Amino acid sequence: MDSQFLVSLVIILSTFALYIWIAVFNTAKQTSDFYVAGRGVPPIFNGMAIGADWMSAASFIGMAGTIMLLGYDGLAYIMGWTGGYLFLTILLAPQLRKFGRFTVPEFIGDRFNSKAALIIAAICTIIISFTYSIGQLSGSGVVIGRLFEIDAKIGTMIGVVLIAFYAAFGGMKGITWTQVAQYIILIIAYLVPVIFMSLQLTSNPLPWISYGEIVTKMGELDRELGISEYFAPFTNGTKWQFLALMFTLMCGTAGLPHVIVRFYTVGTMKAARWSGAWALVFIGLLYFSAPAYAAFARFILMTEIAGKKIAELPAWTQSWIDTGKLGIVDTNGDGILQWLELKIANDIVVMATPEIANLGVFVIGLVAAGAMAAALSTAGGLMISISSSFAHDIYYRIINPQASEQKRLLVGRISIVVATLLAGIIALNPPGAITQIVAWAFALATGTFFPALVLGVWWKRANAKGTMAGMLVGLTVTLVYIFSAKYGGFTILGIIDTGAGIFGAIAAFATNIIVSLSTRPPSQELQDAVINLRYPEQMTYKDGEVYLNDGSSKDQ
Amino acid sequence: MKKVDQKVADAYFREKNRYMLVYFAIWFLVSYVVVAFADSLTEIQFLGFPFHYFMGAIGALFTFIVLLFVNAIVGDKIDKKYGIDDERNKEIGAKNMIDH
Repeated sequence: MDSQFLVSLVIILSTFALYIWIAVFNTAKQTSDFYVAGRGVPPIFNGMAIGADWMSAASFIGMAGTIMLLGYDGLAYIMGWTGGYLFLTILLAPQLRKFGRFTVPEFIGDRFNSKAALIIAAICTIIISFTYSIGQLSGSGVVIGRLFEIDAKIGTMIGVVLIAFYAAFGGMKGITWTQVAQYIILIIAYLVPVIFMSLQLTSNPLPWISYGEIVTKMGELDRELGISEYFAPFTNGTKWQFLALMFTLMCGTAGLPHVIVRFYTVGTMKAARWSGAWALVFIGLLYFSAPAYAAFARFILMTEIAGKKIAELPAWTQSWIDTGKLGIVDTNGDGILQWLELKIANDIVVMATPEIANLGVFVIGLVAAGAMAAALSTAGGLMISISSSFAHDIYYRIINPQASEQKRLLVGRISIVVATLLAGIIALNPPGAITQIVAWAFALATGTFFPALVLGVWWKRANAKGTMAGMLVGLTVTLVYIFSAKYGGFTILGIIDTGAGIFGAIAAFATNIIVSLSTRPPSQELQDAVINLRYPEQMTYKDGEVYLNDGSSKDQ
Repeated sequence: MKKVDQKVADAYFREKNRYMLVYFAIWFLVSYVVVAFADSLTEIQFLGFPFHYFMGAIGALFTFIVLLFVNAIVGDKIDKKYGIDDERNKEIGAKNMIDH
C-alpha cells in the first residue's frame, strides 16, 4: 500500500463520516420529510443542494474529459446543462410549486385528473432516473477502481453497495443538508487542481481567464501535428448534432424529476425563482472551470507526456492502465510515446490529471473524495425519485391505498436496493462514456416530461389523452432513435444518439397538441387550476374571477 | 378575500410574459445563434480566446446566470407593484401541500 492510497482513503472516509453524521442527525421519520424535506430550506442552501444533486459524476468526472477529447464540440454540454435552468426556473418551477404536489408524476396525475397519466409518468420517472444512475455507478467504479488499483468493474460493485445503503437510509431531509456539505466538498475538490494547474502553466491563479492563451497555443500545436485545431468547431460531429445535443440537454434539465422535486422544498414561487438563480451560480462555478480543466489537462499531456520514452513513463500510467481506461500503444515502434499513440478514456481525465501534473497526494485524494461526493449525491437524489415513484405513486396511490406509513417506507427502501443493483449490473459493462449515458437520460426527459410539463402548465386545453399519448410517443421515438443511432448507424443530419431528444420532443409536442385538440377539453375546474398558476400564491383564480387573499376573511 | 379587477390580473400576467420573452430572446441569441455562426467567428479574438470558444465556454453561461438574477429581482418588483405580500405568500404556500 502506497501513501497515495492511504491519503485518498482517509480523505474519502472522513468526508463520508461527515455526510453520514448529517444524515443520521436528520434521519427521516415521516414520509413527508422523506420526500421533500418539510419545505423550509432557504433559497441559497436549496441552490447549493440543487447544485450537488445536479452535478453528478457526469459533470465532475466526465465533462472535462469529454471537452478535452471533443474540443469545441464538447461545449454543447456546458451550454446545454446550464441553459436549461432558464426553462426550469422561469417556465416550470414556480408554477409547479404553486400547484403543490409532491412529485412530477403526482402533478401530472392531478393536473389531468387521470390515474393512467400518473402511472405513465411514474414509469417514465423510473426509466429516466434509472438510466441516469447507470452513469453514476459507472463513475463511482472509475474512482474506486483507481483507488484500489483494481478493474473499474469491481469498483462499480463496491459503489453499488455504498449507494444502495446510503440512499435507503438518508431520505431527502438527510439529503438536503448532506448535499450542502457535498456541494462544498466537491467544488473545493474541483477548483483546487484547476487553480494549481493554472499557476503552474500560466502563473495566473485565475484559471477562468488564463486558459484562453493555452487554448490558442494548442491550436498551434495541433497544426504542427497535422490534426484539426482544438477549438475548431464541428470537427467531431455536424453543426446539427451540436444544436440537437444542446437542445436535448436544455429541455432534459427542465424535465428531470429528481431536479424538479427540489423545487418543492422551497416555500413559495418567489423562493423557487431565487433557488434557481442561486443554483446556477453554484453550478456555474464548476462549469466555468471544466473547459479550463480540459485545456490544462490536454496541454500537459501534449507537452509533458507525449514525446517521452515509453519505458520512462511515471508510475501513475500503470495504475490507470490497470483500470482498463488508459491505453498506450507504440504503433510505430520507436519507443517514444507520440500524442496520437495515447488513448485516454473521457472518464479518467479529471481523475488522472492531478497525478499527471504532479499536484501531490493530498490534491489527488481530494479529487477522489469530490468525485465520490458527486456520484453519491446525485445517485441519492435519483434513488429517492425512483422510490417515490414506485412506493408513493404506484404502490400507495394505485396498488394499496391502505398501506401504512411504515409499509410505504419499507417499499421505498426495497425499490432503492433493487434499482441500484440492476443499474449496477448494467454499469459493469457501461454502454458508453459517463456523459453519453447521462445524455440519454436527458434525451428521455426531453421526449417525455418536458412537453408534458410545459403544455400542462401553460396550455389549459391540454388534456389527459393528449398528454398520455404525447409521453408514450415521445418515449418511443427517443428510445428508438437512441438505439438505431447507436447500434444501427441510422442518423438524420448527422445527429447521433445523444441528440435524440429533439426528435422525441417534436413528436411529443405534436402528438399532445393534436390528440388534445381532437378529444374533449378538460373540465372547467382543471382549466381554472391552470389559469391559477399564472399568479402568485396570494392571487387565486376561481370561476372566471381573480381574488387577492389579503387575510380579510377566513376562507382561502 | 378581495376581488381583483380582471384587467389588473391580466396586466400582471402580461407583464411577466413580456419580460419572459425578452429573457428567452437573449438566451437564444447567446447560445443557438452563436453556435449557428460559430464557423465564421473563429478568427475574432476575445480575452485571448477565439470568440466562438469564449461564448461556448464562458459567455453563454455568464449570460444565463445574469438573466436568472434579473428574473428573480424583476419578479419581486412586479409582485410588489401589484401589492403582493411575500409573508402572506409564505403562509399560503405552507398550507399548500397536498399529501394524499
